[in-house]
Amino acid sequence: MAWSDNNDLFWFNSSYKKMNRIIILTPLIILLIICFFSVTYLLSGKDPNKPPSALLNKNVPSFESNSLYDTKEIIRTTDIKNRKTLINFFASWCSPCKIEHPLFFEIGKKYPELYLLGFNHKDQTSDAKKYLKDDGNPYDFVGVDADGLIALEFGVFGLPETYLINEEGKIIFKFMGPITKDVLKNEIEPLL
Amino acid sequence: MSSLVGFLSLVFAIGINFYLFLSRYIFKFQKQKFNFLIRFSSLLTLISFFSLMYAYVVSDFSNYNVFQNSHSNKPLIYKISGTWGNHEGSMLLWLSILSIFSFFFSFTKNINQNFQKLTLIIQAFLHILFGLFIVFTSNPFLVNSILVNEGLGLNPILQDPGLAVHPPILYAGYVGYSIVFSIAIAGLFQNTDDEWLYVAKKWSLISWTFLTGGIALGSYWAYYELGWGGWWFWDPVENISLMPWIAGLALVHSLMLVRGEQAIKKWIVFLSILCFSLSVFGTFLVRSGILTSVHSFAADASRGIFILLIFFIVTGFGFLVFLLKEPKKSNTLNLLFINKVSALVINNILMIIATLTILLGTIYPIIIEVLYNKRISVGGPYFNATVIPIMIPGFLLMSIAPILSWQTNKINNSKKYVLAFIILSVLVLIQSYFLDFNTWGFVGLLLGFWIILASIIAIFSSYKIKINIKFFKIINPHVAHIGVGIAIVGITCSSVFQNELDFNLSEGDKFNINGKTVLFEKIETTNQINFQSLRGKFLFDIEKNQSKEIEAGKNYYPVSKMITSEAGILHMWNKDIYFILGDQKNNEWFVKVLINPFVSFIWLGVIIMIYSGLIAVTRR
Repeated sequence: MAWSDNNDLFWFNSSYKKMNRIIILTPLIILLIICFFSVTYLLSGKDPNKPPSALLNKNVPSFESNSLYDTKEIIRTTDIKNRKTLINFFASWCSPCKIEHPLFFEIGKKYPELYLLGFNHKDQTSDAKKYLKDDGNPYDFVGVDADGLIALEFGVFGLPETYLINEEGKIIFKFMGPITKDVLKNEIEPLL
Repeated sequence: MSSLVGFLSLVFAIGINFYLFLSRYIFKFQKQKFNFLIRFSSLLTLISFFSLMYAYVVSDFSNYNVFQNSHSNKPLIYKISGTWGNHEGSMLLWLSILSIFSFFFSFTKNINQNFQKLTLIIQAFLHILFGLFIVFTSNPFLVNSILVNEGLGLNPILQDPGLAVHPPILYAGYVGYSIVFSIAIAGLFQNTDDEWLYVAKKWSLISWTFLTGGIALGSYWAYYELGWGGWWFWDPVENISLMPWIAGLALVHSLMLVRGEQAIKKWIVFLSILCFSLSVFGTFLVRSGILTSVHSFAADASRGIFILLIFFIVTGFGFLVFLLKEPKKSNTLNLLFINKVSALVINNILMIIATLTILLGTIYPIIIEVLYNKRISVGGPYFNATVIPIMIPGFLLMSIAPILSWQTNKINNSKKYVLAFIILSVLVLIQSYFLDFNTWGFVGLLLGFWIILASIIAIFSSYKIKINIKFFKIINPHVAHIGVGIAIVGITCSSVFQNELDFNLSEGDKFNINGKTVLFEKIETTNQINFQSLRGKFLFDIEKNQSKEIEAGKNYYPVSKMITSEAGILHMWNKDIYFILGDQKNNEWFVKVLINPFVSFIWLGVIIMIYSGLIAVTRR
């Protein structure tokens, strides 16, 4: 190799050279530190789109909403007591919602006792009905959240967002963005 | 069909580069054949890119990427820009620009052939890394599994002419540093003469000029599209582009002033590696979605890991070579108390400290979240409080640096400068006394004007004034610094002396801005091809005959159900009047008016910097 004939390149005798080496090594050390933190961050499954929720392990916020199909049919917080509920905020205008949509049929089929509650967020009633007609309606109940106040109570960041509520009415899981098969298998199913 | 062509040529191009890479060790072939293969692979990569563009133009929704990001109602220009408006396409653009740079570099004449070949082999290596990244994690040529006849649309905030050209220019800057990186590494390996320094100078100037243009376009876009009245937000993605820019600035200056000193040569290699590393790191931060910002793209851990691996290989390889192979011994550093070399060294140190400060602020949230599982964000206050004070001594120094001598501590005409500085300080002090005194305003104005003044004195006292191209090339360093001075004045005025006025208005109301009467004429809604627009029309200065009309409002994009704000800006040479139309309540509209003094100076300063970057490329 070209550099082996130059012995003072390998290790050094004077302290000046040593100092020099340490300075030259600094970028490599910084590189290692940056990579270490980035890898840890990426592998820990942390995602900036998933801020730690303040609501986790807290009681579900109280809400009241009417059905998309029948304005007289009302759902309240008390209606979901004593059963596991999956709450999903969606809208016809939200394209990532389309992506996760088929998964709710899968969940519904696999866990018939789970109550699937969809909140239609800031949407036109006609658009929402058309969306659920075209792509199918996996929800047991579709509540209307036309002014977004319910989403505000839940601390929704952006659509879609999914919450799992246990029998005691506590939020035990929250996911921002479209859920995927992996999320379903690794994070939601163990809780069911 | 076009997707298939695109994918095959992409893969084939990677194959050729792999072959070229192995040629260093296994197959040896002649220069002609080598260059032919490099150019052929560049061509294939471009074919791949243009076939994706074609799929966008004809709205071929059988391509999954087009389906996700385009819509047949979009105007043609946004179909074209949609090609790079998404993760996959933008990575393909990145690769295409990389191969364009290799293509042009293969035509460089009068350089050592082994050196040129080695540079291109390193480029081929980079091509392989990024090509595999595209094929395995971000393939834009996937087939759509469902049959559809309409796409899901593009983020409407990206439907803007400024933003259509911003990514390619910015990328040309980022990726341009790849060739500087390859040149520096090849220069270390060959270690023959200083030839590579001159080659590197040209390419680093090109990259820096592109990067300047790209950043300026991005911040101009933020200025009129985001509707916050500012043009720089210390957003992570902005920081990411600023880091290689500052490091690149240090690199350009070192390359211009190097005279065979070993320490500076070493430093140049270090900066070359650093610039490209920062570019790749920036790509990693944006593309992994690890940082949230206005540029949030889809996050995907496997992509993040892959780019991080590329970053690690490139940077680690670069710095390892740097550690093991030193440039040949030559002249030592001629450091005096104040001469060109010491000014250069001081400025370089300041720029690196500034870069590291920005780097720390940008990755600090990641470190904190890993260690403490807490989410924090580092924003404007940190950067303003740290980066600006670091830069100030650098700005002071740059005003006189071009006239410093190489050999002695003497400054020609030093009395003139001292006198000019004193007069200027008094003038700025008086000016600030009559306006509200603001320390930052004072410092910024003094610095900006001083840089301009000192550069002008230097031009007039050091050279004979002639109007020809050669003269403009000679005074180019001073011109660049005048550009910086003008930009500093603009930045100071628009941020320190910004004025905000709030109004609640109904149609037909008149109101007062800086003594001028403004009429809120009416609200108008119209249907455009792919959006509905709501515009408030204002007439500025109705007392005069030529009153100016301003429109501010919002656009509503039905496909993605998004609203974008469209600020109405009245540009004047000394101030921008910036109208933002807010919400309606009880027949009254909330209108925010920002008066941003001397914003035009920022863009003027940037244009001068770009101009002098271009002149410097042609020099020698």
